[in-house]
Amino acid sequence: MKGSFRQSMAWLHTWSGLIVGWVLFAIFVTGTASYYRPDITRWMRPELTRAAPLDAPALGAAAERAVTYLKEHAPKARGWFIGLPQPDKPVLDLFWRTRPGEPPGHAMLDPRTGTEAAMRDTRGGDFLYRFHFELHMPPLWGRWVVGICAMIMLVALISGIVTHKRIFADFFTFRRDKAPRRSWLDAHNVTGVLALPFHLMITYTGIITLALMYMPWGVTTAYKGDNQAFFAEAGWVTTPRAPANRPAALAPVGPLVERALATVPETLERLSVVNPGDANATVIAVFEEPHGLSHQHPQIAFDGVSGEMLEVLGDGLKPAAKTFTVMTGLHEAHFAGTALRLLFFLCGLMGCAMVATGIVLWSLARLPKANERAFFGLRLVQALNIGSIAGLPAAVAVFFLANRLLPVDLAGRAEWEIDAFFGAWIVAALVPLVRPQRRAWCEGLAAVSLLCLAVVAADILTIPGHPLRLMGGDPLFAWFDAAMLLLAGLFALAARKVLRYEAPRKEGKRERDMAQGPRPEPMAPSPTRAPVRHREPTHA
Amino acid sequence: MTPSILAANLGLSFAALAALCLSLNRHHAEVFDRKAERAAVLRLRAFGWAAIAASLVVAGIGEGWAFGPVQWFGALTGAALGLVLLLSYRPRYVAPAALVALGLAAVPLSLAVFTVSP
Repeated sequence: MKGSFRQSMAWLHTWSGLIVGWVLFAIFVTGTASYYRPDITRWMRPELTRAAPLDAPALGAAAERAVTYLKEHAPKARGWFIGLPQPDKPVLDLFWRTRPGEPPGHAMLDPRTGTEAAMRDTRGGDFLYRFHFELHMPPLWGRWVVGICAMIMLVALISGIVTHKRIFADFFTFRRDKAPRRSWLDAHNVTGVLALPFHLMITYTGIITLALMYMPWGVTTAYKGDNQAFFAEAGWVTTPRAPANRPAALAPVGPLVERALATVPETLERLSVVNPGDANATVIAVFEEPHGLSHQHPQIAFDGVSGEMLEVLGDGLKPAAKTFTVMTGLHEAHFAGTALRLLFFLCGLMGCAMVATGIVLWSLARLPKANERAFFGLRLVQALNIGSIAGLPAAVAVFFLANRLLPVDLAGRAEWEIDAFFGAWIVAALVPLVRPQRRAWCEGLAAVSLLCLAVVAADILTIPGHPLRLMGGDPLFAWFDAAMLLLAGLFALAARKVLRYEAPRKEGKRERDMAQGPRPEPMAPSPTRAPVRHREPTHA
Repeated sequence: MTPSILAANLGLSFAALAALCLSLNRHHAEVFDRKAERAAVLRLRAFGWAAIAASLVVAGIGEGWAFGPVQWFGALTGAALGLVLLLSYRPRYVAPAALVALGLAAVPLSLAVFTVSP
């Protein structure tokens, strides 16, 4: 690190971007997909059809059926979580925790009968959503890794702004037909600068959503480490109640559901039953958040035995607590309707493109001269680039494909889907190590395109109610397939571009003439693409 | 109401950014094959910033001052992406597209004014 402030920042930008680039790309891709988490989940559970919303007595009766099931299957649990049927997801989604360290239980019930719903076992969009901030690692580890990457991302963003010399003059500049380093740098700048408000917002709020985990000291000191007491005082959760350790029968939840619905005008999303069977049991009704930026669910706590209403949490947050919920709300964008959601999604894609062009630039800036061998670090970076930029989308496509092609009654089906995802990713990351770099790019991108097409084909062939086969089926399937076709087209275009690419004549001519002799290192994409390796500290 | 406000935001943003873009010599030359005159540059810049500000006001009034700024930023980014791609692939279409965008923004706006005023 030497020279001017800007050069130091360029150094910081280059290396902070490189070390977290691949993980960030995965976080951005899965996070962008998570804007459509409910839709992806619904697509992955084609057995579910949309239903009319239930009225209060029907919802209460469904909740009763859930409690009956839980009393039988999870009598010892510390907490029951009952996702109530919604028009888009007409099932009872049950989840229970027995004790720390034990895997939680999970079941889906038909709300009309209380028996287990007949549908394929899948994690759906929740897998991508959790991967976004846990990377499929143990939650604590995953969140720390993602958090550190996000903090370094913030460093890379700020240092990138400082490094960019002509932020206003080059605001609209994308010279796609110039030398590769120039075009890639333009693409990196354009995707970074045009969506900069989004990038700063999403990175900062992303860190904030988990800030209490990264910086627990305030809560540790003021509340003696009792997070729940802090959350309750902030007004985010209802006051926790310790178990009395005396058994008592749980009050019928049906009437509680009806009273909750009469109190708060929002849609009732789920019930949490804390310490069921205890004299101090609590039933908490959690509603969908009202339309607003803030991510705060209204909640009502009932005494689980007497049925007395203990506490109603609405929107009475203090400024600091409200700031926090607005930041998480902005990050998750639950408030966004179709069009605004599409803009958020587009910004997410620009984030993916910014990270991808950034890590490619690092390797473009270090291409060997015509008579040099590529050094090991460069080859590693090149292979990792292909393994993530083509490999991750391929893995996501295989995840969708597995959802359609695995036998519906396969034991551990949800895990098989995830295994398919990681299996595909590992293969896609290893193959580029043994292939010439340009071929590997071309093959990787083409493979993603073919896999997306395969997803569409599998969807149409295996879903009897697909809108293309049945006039007027659920339009979700048509939209999903259209998005897949669009992705297939984009990746096919990219593959074609790599295949057909030739460096602009005037820049590469002399080197091309020189390279007619003994052919150098095959890893270099093409000798003509390698400009003289001069360091421009401000560019990659 | 929401889709029409968003359409107005997108149209205003596109026209504004196109004007700011054409006030830069490099892009002006790409589109019109000549250098921009000083007066034209000033006019384009004034219009561009005014339209960006107008877009914020429209979003704030139409969507409330909580959602408005979010939508304003989103529309600016979306319009800018479209503009950059158009400028790169079909620079000749930038000026007509900006006029069309301005026209498209005017439709929902005039409708909104018309329905609010009586």
